[in-house]
Amino acid sequence: MKRTYLGEFEEIVLLTVAVLNDAAYGVAITDELDRQTGRSVSISAVHAALHRLEEKGMLSSHMGEATAERGGRRKRLFTVTALGSRALHDIRAMRDQLWNSISPNALPAISI
Amino acid sequence: MNTQPPRWADRLLEWFCAPHLLEEVQGDLYERYMRDVRRLGAPKANQQYSLNVLRFLRPFALKRKPNPNSQPECRTTPLFRAAMLENYLKIAFRNLTRNKAYSAINIIGLSIGLAAAMLIMLYTKDEVSYDRFHANNPLIYRITSQNITPAGVPDHKQPYTGLFPGPKFHAGVPEIKAFVRYRENHRDMKQGNEVNSQSVYFADTSFFSVFTFPLLSGNPKTALQNPHSVVISEEIAEKNFGTTNAVGKTLFFKEDDKFEPHTVTAVAKKCPQNSSIKFDVLMPMLVKPEEMANNENWFSVFMNTFVVLSPNANLNAVEAKMNQVYLADAQEAIKLITKKFGNQDLTQYALQPFTDMHLSQELPASNGLVDESNPTFSYILSGIALFILLIACINFVNLTVARSLKRAKEIGVRKVVGGARVQLIIQFLGESFILCFAAFALALILIELALPTFNQLANKALALSYLFDTQLVIGYVALFIVTSLLSGFYPALILSGYNPVQTLYSRFNLSGKNYLQKSLVVLQFSLASFLIIASLTIYSQFNYLTSKDLGYDDKNLVIVDKSNLTRSEAKLLKEELQKDQNIVDVAPKNGGTWGTVAKINGDTQLSFIYETVNETYLPLFKIPIVQGRNFSKNFPSDSTHSVLVNETFVKKAGWKNPVGQVVDFWLDSTKYNVIGVVKDYHFMALNREIGPQLFTMKPKNQYGKAFIKIRPNTETASLQSIENVFKKLFPLTPYSYQFMDQENIKRYESEAKWKQMVLFGAILTIFISCIGLFGLATLSAERRTKEIGIRKVLGASVTGIVQLLSTDFLKLVSLSFIFAFPAAWYAMSKWLENYPYRINISVWIFLITAFISISIAFLTVSWQSLRAAMINPVRSLRSE
Repeated sequence: MKRTYLGEFEEIVLLTVAVLNDAAYGVAITDELDRQTGRSVSISAVHAALHRLEEKGMLSSHMGEATAERGGRRKRLFTVTALGSRALHDIRAMRDQLWNSISPNALPAISI
Repeated sequence: MNTQPPRWADRLLEWFCAPHLLEEVQGDLYERYMRDVRRLGAPKANQQYSLNVLRFLRPFALKRKPNPNSQPECRTTPLFRAAMLENYLKIAFRNLTRNKAYSAINIIGLSIGLAAAMLIMLYTKDEVSYDRFHANNPLIYRITSQNITPAGVPDHKQPYTGLFPGPKFHAGVPEIKAFVRYRENHRDMKQGNEVNSQSVYFADTSFFSVFTFPLLSGNPKTALQNPHSVVISEEIAEKNFGTTNAVGKTLFFKEDDKFEPHTVTAVAKKCPQNSSIKFDVLMPMLVKPEEMANNENWFSVFMNTFVVLSPNANLNAVEAKMNQVYLADAQEAIKLITKKFGNQDLTQYALQPFTDMHLSQELPASNGLVDESNPTFSYILSGIALFILLIACINFVNLTVARSLKRAKEIGVRKVVGGARVQLIIQFLGESFILCFAAFALALILIELALPTFNQLANKALALSYLFDTQLVIGYVALFIVTSLLSGFYPALILSGYNPVQTLYSRFNLSGKNYLQKSLVVLQFSLASFLIIASLTIYSQFNYLTSKDLGYDDKNLVIVDKSNLTRSEAKLLKEELQKDQNIVDVAPKNGGTWGTVAKINGDTQLSFIYETVNETYLPLFKIPIVQGRNFSKNFPSDSTHSVLVNETFVKKAGWKNPVGQVVDFWLDSTKYNVIGVVKDYHFMALNREIGPQLFTMKPKNQYGKAFIKIRPNTETASLQSIENVFKKLFPLTPYSYQFMDQENIKRYESEAKWKQMVLFGAILTIFISCIGLFGLATLSAERRTKEIGIRKVLGASVTGIVQLLSTDFLKLVSLSFIFAFPAAWYAMSKWLENYPYRINISVWIFLITAFISISIAFLTVSWQSLRAAMINPVRSLRSE
């Protein structure tokens, strides 16, 4: 299956943007990631991923409102593009397909 | 709460972060900072903030302008795609073949430039590699000496030493690990019935342990131990024995009028081309025990002494110790000499690194060492090569930019379909690389063709195989890359900057007055004119040196060498030769140049050149006597008590009435009376001023050569009878002859070489400049085809159009004189200062240069202009 390659971290960031819907910007994404996955990531890493995703056409962005605690600076708000959505769906479909193909006893049991 | 994050971190972020990202990044960091301050407190938050800023030092965030034109997918397009690469090559190839004249001009020009530069690199590499092949290399030094007058004034340094410094310093200075003395002499060598004069070098036994000269056979340690041993080169072995396996064979050398057998103890490989020591026959240096006992031997200096220092020796300390040894050992001799002759110069010894000799002007490789070289020669050659290469690159730049109008459409189309500027730059640079590569290949062929001539001019034996030296290969590759970039970068930058909209509408023209192209043409012709002036000046000076009246008649004068020619032999030779009516007269003279010091006016010292002659010498040379008389047979005491001096001698001595003055030779008990004054004549080459000269008939001094005056136009017959007489009288002496006037011209070999080198340079520069001009004229004529057509229709004449097209270029050529003339005048005046007898740089040289430059340039340009002017306007105006 030919598609644009998405790194694991990029995929998670892309999903987080989708989760946050209209309020996805740097700090919010970082916080959400921390809350949902327990991963403490640096802001710069998130920015880098967002930048890459935008270059790949998976995200689009516009400047949002400014707040006082940002020293009067605006946020860049991200939304998932059709291409991004398509990529996420593709990944999910592929994963589902793989899960469905696993025979019931193939995975070692992890329950106690 | 009014907390601010650390200012330095903020500043840093503002400095490195791309402006279009700064706002959001800084906003996010602030937001995070505020939260941290609440949670962790200000100090921790500050720390976190700085850390976060530093984490943004990532490629994506670093200062870069976003490209507003490029679509996101375009930014990741790789610079090279196989398909595009193929296209670039195809276009480059088509362009080169379609414009054959243009490609030829560039390739020929560049290849000549590259060949010149590569040859000079080869030459300089050889020059600087001299004498570096010895295993002892950095530790070998040559002992130099310098006289210090009693008043403490140092005289000039000289690279000579005597018998003593080697062994005495070796014994007295622990840092000196070994020494070897080396001197040149000539020996007559007999092989069968044939006698040849052979250069023979004498060296101490340590020669092969100090220097690295590989032997084909024989033991280097013992080769020079036996007094009757001889080491010969493979060439000599091959010549004399027909084999290089010559150890144990015998050669005969004349010593004290007897031929002594010498056994070959070793055969040496040919000495490397870049060696100051080049021997064919090497013999052990024989020093008699009584010579080593005579302390006065500290005062005669005549040969090279080399020493090997221990690796950690301090040069200054060694020199100081050497001088201590000298002063202690020579004490007695110094006292003795001072008593006998009044004050005596002291000697100061010093060391010169062995590898410095070759290019040293102060202490050259002389006295048996060969190939001493003037570094200026390398500089001048490099300068000329650089000129030529630069001019070729200028051609490339000018032609490419001028021709680029034709490619403007291509550039426009490439840009419109999405070609980035970088891609265009790389494409054009690539084309220049392809051209350079072709030129490079051609240059190799040119070098191979030019090497024999170049070797002759530069007095070298360089070969193309030297090119495979790693350093040189790196040098050449660097040269290739630099040339490609130099010639390709500017055009690539200009071409890639064209505005596609303009070029596609065909409304495009090179904007501005194109000052760059004009100034480059001026620069080219300045360089060419400079070299023309230089070669004309050198030519005139050479002409002056070789045709100046030397003050004597050197025509039809044959010189025959015969060492130790006795008075009776000279008389016999003259009698025998004069039996032939073609031979006018014969005069003997001492061989070589002798100099000495004498006391005049009581105790003033004067040093001078002196000649041992007889009464026929001056008349034979037609040298006038201005006062007094010549030596004469009617005055038997002339040979023992009379001398003649030249005018300079009289001037230096300060004599009003020279005849009757007394000359008191140093180390000679006889006093001599001056009986006449000889008119000054140039007995030395013209790069030396006439010095004091004295003539004597002293019987103790031997003659070394005979001058034979022959009748004009009888060379063949006369030479034949001279050879017959000589071989009859002196069967065991090698016979050779020279013509005096040819010998005089040979003194200026170096000037002759310069003359040719610079002339070649001038011809090449003017040639390359002109093909460049030709290319420009062609393009300008093409561009103006329509204009010319309209002018013709309106009644312009052919001459008028040629004038119109040529004047622009001729103005530039004339402008170049403004730069070339003063620079050339200055440089050539400096050069001429080396000659005491020299020409004045005349206005003619400049006028001739101007004439040559302008007429060559005019011919070049008018060819194309004429063609353009002759075209039928119907043809040029029909299209569109």
